[in-house]
Amino acid sequence: MRNLVALVALLLSGVSAFAGSKPISTVKVPCNSYYQVLSPDGSQLAWRCKDRTVHVLNVKDQKELRVIPAAPGVNSLAYSSDGQWLALGFYNGNVEVASSKSLEPTHRWKASARRIDLLYFFPDGKTVIVGPTDADGQVWDLSGVPKLAATLPFEFGGMNACALSPDGKLLVVAGDDTVLRWYDTKTWKQTLENRNFLLETFALAFTADGKQVLAGGADARITVLDALAAKTLRQLPAEKGSYIVQLELFGAGPSAATVYLDDAGGKPPHGRVWDLATERSVALGSDKFPTCGAVVGDKLWLCNADGNTLTIAQYE
Amino acid sequence: MNFTRRELLERCAAFGVLTLAKATPVAALAAAWEEAQKMRPTPYCELGPFYKRDAPHILTLRAPGDAGMPLTLSGVVHNTRGEVVPDAKVEIWQTDNDGHYDIEGYRYRTLLTPGPKGSYAVESVMPGHYPDRVCQHVHYLTTAPGHKPLITQLYFATDPVFEGNPDKNYTRDPLITGRELVRPVVIKGDPKQMIAAVTFDLVLETL
Repeated sequence: MRNLVALVALLLSGVSAFAGSKPISTVKVPCNSYYQVLSPDGSQLAWRCKDRTVHVLNVKDQKELRVIPAAPGVNSLAYSSDGQWLALGFYNGNVEVASSKSLEPTHRWKASARRIDLLYFFPDGKTVIVGPTDADGQVWDLSGVPKLAATLPFEFGGMNACALSPDGKLLVVAGDDTVLRWYDTKTWKQTLENRNFLLETFALAFTADGKQVLAGGADARITVLDALAAKTLRQLPAEKGSYIVQLELFGAGPSAATVYLDDAGGKPPHGRVWDLATERSVALGSDKFPTCGAVVGDKLWLCNADGNTLTIAQYE
Repeated sequence: MNFTRRELLERCAAFGVLTLAKATPVAALAAAWEEAQKMRPTPYCELGPFYKRDAPHILTLRAPGDAGMPLTLSGVVHNTRGEVVPDAKVEIWQTDNDGHYDIEGYRYRTLLTPGPKGSYAVESVMPGHYPDRVCQHVHYLTTAPGHKPLITQLYFATDPVFEGNPDKNYTRDPLITGRELVRPVVIKGDPKQMIAAVTFDLVLETL
């Protein structure tokens, strides 16, 4: 996704607290940052400085656990859904996977000659989807020496987003070519596709029952799709002049948290929480916006970086 | 009668026009010649966001009254052997002069089908700068049967970012992958109606 998410934080300044949220933690961090990733259990924070060093911090005691040097430079970060594994994608096309406990790398390999823009773990932590810039997606089996299990081709360009169904049988992939493709994760054969999008999709999520897929992207709206038929079911109202870069489902209903960027990069990013049933939304705070977030225990945690301080709060 | 290079070499050798060393078969010589004649493929430059599918086939992107210096973009699509690539499609998209991409519509977006000589031309305006990118640029996506899709971007030697010296300063935009993507800008027309003209040939690799 070419680090669109990173732009969220690049533009932030002068923020205080999220409206309607419960403070969780305030973390002192080693430098200004425009890209952070919070682990899904909320215990760890990977923080990339502007000099491209990455610092992994324990949220609770604020101890720095590991520093990854600036060269060759980390471009993408992802935790496994259980928070046990951390994957790093580098500018030189390398990928590294480390246990989040020891932070010692367990796997390191050259996935591509190009920058790694996207990483996505399967729940078992043994399969990783890798998205190099403007190149086919890759499925890597990490049960032993990293092995390329499948490639996920596009007409052109690379992968912008992917999401795995709750039962692990389907992977939906969004490409630069604007097509959403459905893959059977057993055979890695494409089974369905949706070509209704004229613009790119940058975020995908399955509902907890696995029946629907939500897509958000350059059209600045959430599109709800039938997960089994790949058909478009409905579209929520668009935020004109912006586009969706992140989409997280949480709570009953469910609700969808979205982060928008201004399409010309001139206005600050902003977030909204959508009630999918009523299709109504509320702004995610008026005086600050999320620079990273995670769904922790079905609650939405949001963080905001301001200088050397990161505030984590639970959305209420 | 037209001959390929290989046929021409074979005929020359057959008629004694070309003397071949015993150890140099015609095929090897032809291959070496073709290799030497090869053109470099146009450098890749990343796609970036804001691509939009199903752009219309239009040759004039600028509308009357649009801000910005009028710009003519033209070039030829060929392969690394210099041959015209049949059935090529060239998609071009850019910001307006204020640095805005049209997301809702198709302003400054087109899908061109070059003619039998492989040439394309489109009337536009100089794109603007915008906060997330260093340089003015135009996106190209060129596809043709039997060829690798070419994703690239065109830059302008007149961009103030280069301070008049693109040879030295083109790396100021970290996305520029090669100096050849920064094209000279020729100013045409009279002083009251100047038009910038940029030639950008696209060289595709075969699959």
